[in-house]
Amino acid sequence: MSFVQNFPCFSIVLCMVAGILSTPMKGKQAKNLTLVVVTLVALMSIATLGYVIGTGESYTYMMGRFPAPWGNEIRVGILEALTATVFALVMLFSLLGGMDHVFKDINESKINLYFILVDLLLSSLLAIIYTNDLFTGYVFVEINTIAACGMIMIRESGRSLIAATRYMVMSLIGSGLFLISLAMLYDITGHLLMEDAHEAMIRLTQSGQYEIPLLVIISLLTVGLAIKSGLYPFHSWMPDAYGYSTISSSSILSSLVSKSYIILLIKIFYRVIGFDTIITSKIVNVLFVFGLIGMIMGSVSAIMAKDIYKMIAYSSVAQIGYVYMGIGLATEAGMAAAIFHILTHAITKSLLFLSAKGLNDASGRKRVYPALQGAAFRNPLAGAAFAVGSLSMVGIPMLAGFISKILFATSALGSDPKKVLPTLIVLSVSTILNAVYFLHTVVRIYTPVGEPGEFKGVRIHMAVGAAAALFCLIALNFVLGLYSQPITDLIQQGIQMFA
Amino acid sequence: MTVAYLLGAAILLPILAGFLLLFTQGKWKNRTVKCLFLFLVFVITTIFSVKLMLVGDYQFPLWKLTDTLEVLVRMDHLTRLFLGMTVAAWTLGGVFAFEYMKHEQKEDRYFGFYLIVLGVLIALDHAGNLVTLYLFFELMTLTSLPLVLHNLSHEAVMAGLKYLFYSVAGAFAALFGIFYLYSHGAGSMFAEGGYLADISYTGSQGMTLLVLFLMILGFGTKAGMFPMHGWLPTAHPVAPAPASAVLSGIITKSGVLAIIRVVFYTAGADYLRGTWVQYAWMTLTLITVFMGSMMAYKEQVLKKRLAYSTVSQVSYILFGLSLLNVSGIVGALSHFVFHSVVKNCLFLCAGAVIYKTGKTMVKDLKGIGKEMPITMWCFTLVSVTLVGIPPTSGFVSKWYLATGSLETGMTGYAWAGPIILLLSAMLTAGYLLPVSILAFFPGHQYDYEQVQKREPNLLMLVPMGLFTIAAVVFGIFPGTFMNYLQKIAMTVL
Repeated sequence: MSFVQNFPCFSIVLCMVAGILSTPMKGKQAKNLTLVVVTLVALMSIATLGYVIGTGESYTYMMGRFPAPWGNEIRVGILEALTATVFALVMLFSLLGGMDHVFKDINESKINLYFILVDLLLSSLLAIIYTNDLFTGYVFVEINTIAACGMIMIRESGRSLIAATRYMVMSLIGSGLFLISLAMLYDITGHLLMEDAHEAMIRLTQSGQYEIPLLVIISLLTVGLAIKSGLYPFHSWMPDAYGYSTISSSSILSSLVSKSYIILLIKIFYRVIGFDTIITSKIVNVLFVFGLIGMIMGSVSAIMAKDIYKMIAYSSVAQIGYVYMGIGLATEAGMAAAIFHILTHAITKSLLFLSAKGLNDASGRKRVYPALQGAAFRNPLAGAAFAVGSLSMVGIPMLAGFISKILFATSALGSDPKKVLPTLIVLSVSTILNAVYFLHTVVRIYTPVGEPGEFKGVRIHMAVGAAAALFCLIALNFVLGLYSQPITDLIQQGIQMFA
Repeated sequence: MTVAYLLGAAILLPILAGFLLLFTQGKWKNRTVKCLFLFLVFVITTIFSVKLMLVGDYQFPLWKLTDTLEVLVRMDHLTRLFLGMTVAAWTLGGVFAFEYMKHEQKEDRYFGFYLIVLGVLIALDHAGNLVTLYLFFELMTLTSLPLVLHNLSHEAVMAGLKYLFYSVAGAFAALFGIFYLYSHGAGSMFAEGGYLADISYTGSQGMTLLVLFLMILGFGTKAGMFPMHGWLPTAHPVAPAPASAVLSGIITKSGVLAIIRVVFYTAGADYLRGTWVQYAWMTLTLITVFMGSMMAYKEQVLKKRLAYSTVSQVSYILFGLSLLNVSGIVGALSHFVFHSVVKNCLFLCAGAVIYKTGKTMVKDLKGIGKEMPITMWCFTLVSVTLVGIPPTSGFVSKWYLATGSLETGMTGYAWAGPIILLLSAMLTAGYLLPVSILAFFPGHQYDYEQVQKREPNLLMLVPMGLFTIAAVVFGIFPGTFMNYLQKIAMTVL
C-alpha cells in the first residue's frame, strides 16, 4: 500500500486535531494553524489526485484496518480527489480573502472558536466527499450543519442570529428527511456500506420487492439533500445566511457547503441506489423541473435585490438550479456538466463574494448599490475581480462559466428529447437574466461619482493575502475556461469509477 | 507556422499596446510621443494585416477549448475584405482622434480601448467557426463598451447599458443557435456554399430554420436590424466622434460578417431560399431601411441623424444578403465597403465641426461651409455618394441591390425592394443634403463679415479627404472591385 493512500484519512483527522488544538489558542495562533492545515490538506489532496490518476482506479481505505461493519471505510476515486482539491483550495482562498473581516466582525474572544468551526467544517466536507459508509455520511452532514450554523451566527448581530436560526431549521428538516431515508434503506437492505447496500439494492429491484418503500427512500433522500443544498423553493434561508454572515463564511457556505450535499447525493445515486433505478423512479424529472424554475426565479430575485451580497446570494439559487437541471437530464454527460458547474461555481462564487467585500470596504462598508458606484476605481483589484467573476457567470467565452453552459447545452441535446427545448430555452433566458444583474452591477462599479479625479483619495489597498486569493481565483477561472478538457475528462473518468 | 506568428502579432500588438496605455494612463508627459507611438502601432498592425491578406488562403486551429470546440482561424476573400476595411478605417479614425481627443478627457483610456478593439476585430474577421465568431463577438461588445461610456455622463452610462443589454441579448439568441447546430454536427467550420443540406447534418428542418432565424436576428442586433435596433441611435452619438465613426462604420458591419458566415458559409443559400426565414428576414430589413430613413429625416441632432442613417443603410446590406442571389450579394458587399467609407467620413466631418465650433444641431450649421469649406465639401461629396447619384459608388451598389431584388422573382418582394430602396434614397437625400445646403447657402440674412476660417488641421483633414477620395474613386472606377466581389458571390452560392 502506497503512503499516498493514507492522505485522505490524514487530512480528515488533521482537520479535527487542528480543531481540538485550537481550543486553548489565541485568535491569531488559531488562524495560523488553520491556514497551515488547509494548505496541507490542499497539497495532500493534490497528491492523492495525482496518485489516483496514476493508478487509474479507485481504492477503499479501512480506517484503522478494521473491516466493516466494525471499522469505517473511505473510498477515493478521481472525482473525490478532484473535488477535495478544489474545495480545499477555495476554502484557503476564502479564508485569506476575508481574513480582515473575520477579525473585525467577530468578538476577539471568539475568534479561535471561528477557526475551530472552520477546521470542523473542512473535516466534515472531506468526510462527506470521501465516505463509503452511509451512516458516516449522515454524521458528517450533521457536523457540517452545526459548523456552518456556528459560522453564520458567530458575528452575533441580530440579522445573523435570525439567519442562523432559519438556516438551522431548514437544514435540520433536510437532515431529518435524509436520516429517515437512511433508516428505511438500512431496514430493507441491511447494510450501510455503500457497496453492500448497492448489491442488496440490485437484488431488490430485480425481484421487484419493496417497490413503494424504495420510491419513498429515493424521494426522501433527494428532497432532504435538495433542501440542504438550497434548491428552489427551499432556498429562503440562503439570502440571509449568505448576506449577513462574515464574508469568509458566506463564501465558504455558498461555494462549498451547499455543493457538498450535491456531491453526496450524486454519490448515493450512483453507488447505492444505482443510476438506472433513479431514472426509472422519475425523481430526476422532478429535480429537472425544480432546477429550471430555480434558474429563472433565482435570477429574477437577484435582479430585484437591492444590495450586492443578496444579489450574489440569489444568483447562487439560480446556479444551484443549473446543477440540479444537469442532474435532472439523467445522462452521464448531464451529470458531468453538473459536476463541472459545481467546480465552476465554487471558484466563481467565492471570487464574487470576496471581490464584493473589497468593493464594499471601499464604499464605507455600505452594500446598497448607490454606495457602490465607482467602487472599482477605489479598489481596482476588487473591481477587476468582480468583473471577471460576473463575466464568467454570464458565460463569456474563455472563462469557466462559458464551458459550463456549453456542457449543459450539449448534454441536454443528448438527453430525453422532451427535455431538450426546455433546457435550451431556460438556459438562454437565464443567461440573459444573469447578464442583466451582473453586468448592470459591473457598469455601476465602473461609473465614477462626481468629477473624475475626486475619488482618488479614498483608494483602498488590500491585504497581500486577500489580493493573492483574488489573483488565484481569477487565474483558476481562466484555467477552467481555457483548459477545460483535462478537467472534464477527469470528471468523466471519475463518474465511471463510481459505477 | 510563420503565418500563425504573424497573425498572433497582428492581434496581440494592438491589444498589448492598448493595455500598456491603460496601465500608464496620465503618465505620458509628451503628447507628440504618445501619438507617434500610437501611429506606429497602427502602421505596424496595418502592415501585418496586409501581409496576412497576401499570404493566400489558410485555416488552422489556434487553440482548443475542449476536444470538440476549437478556436479556428481562417483567411478567405471575405476575411480580406473585412480585414482591409477594418484596419484602414481604424488607422484613419485613429489619426483623426490625435487631434480630436485633445478636447476630451481621459484620452489615454480612449486610445487604450480603441487599440484593444482593433485587435479583437482582427481576430473576429479571422474567425473560422461559429464558436470563434461568438467568442470574439462578445469580446468586441465588451471592449467597445468603454468607447460608448467614454464621457461617463448619465446619458452615456444609460446608453452604454442599453448597448450592452441589446448586444448580450442578441449574442445569446445567436448562441442558442450555435448550440443547436453544434449538437447536430454543424458549425465547427465554415465552407463556401454552406453544408446544412448535407446528409450528415441531423437537425430537423423546422427547428433548424428557427435557430437560423434567431441567429440572423441575434447577430443582426449588432447591425441594427429591426426589431433590435433601439440601442444604435442611442449609443453611437454619445461616443466621441472618431469612436462613433468606427462604431457605425465598422462594428455594425461585424454583425453583417457574422450573418454572412451563418447564412452562406454554414447554412447555405439553397437551404434558406424560399423558406419563411427568407421572407421574414427580407421584411425586417425593408422595414428597417424605411424606418431608419424616416427617423433620420426627423432627427435634428446631426450625430443622431447619422446614427439613424446607419440603421437604415446597414439594412440595405442585409437586404442584399437576404436576396440570396449573386447580384444581391455583390450589392451587399459593395454597399458594405461604400457605407463604411461614407459613414466614417460623415462622422469625422461632424466631429470636426463639433471640435471647432461645438455645434451639434443641424439648424446651427448655417454658413458653416464658409468657415470650414474643405470639411463641408467632404461631407457633401460623401452625402451625394450615399444618396446614390451616379456616377458615385452608392449608385453602383444600389443598382446591384435593385437588380438582385428583381431577379428573385418573389411575388411582391421583387418589386417592394426597389421601391423601398428608392423611397429611402429620397429620404437620404432629404436628410443629408439640407445640411450641405444650409452650410453653403446660409441665405441673405447671413452676416458674411463675421466669417472666420475655422478649418481643422491636417490630422483631421487628411483622414476625411482620403475617405472622400475613396468614396468617389470607387464610384467612377468600380469595375475591378465589382469583379472581385462577383467572384466572392459566385463561390458562396
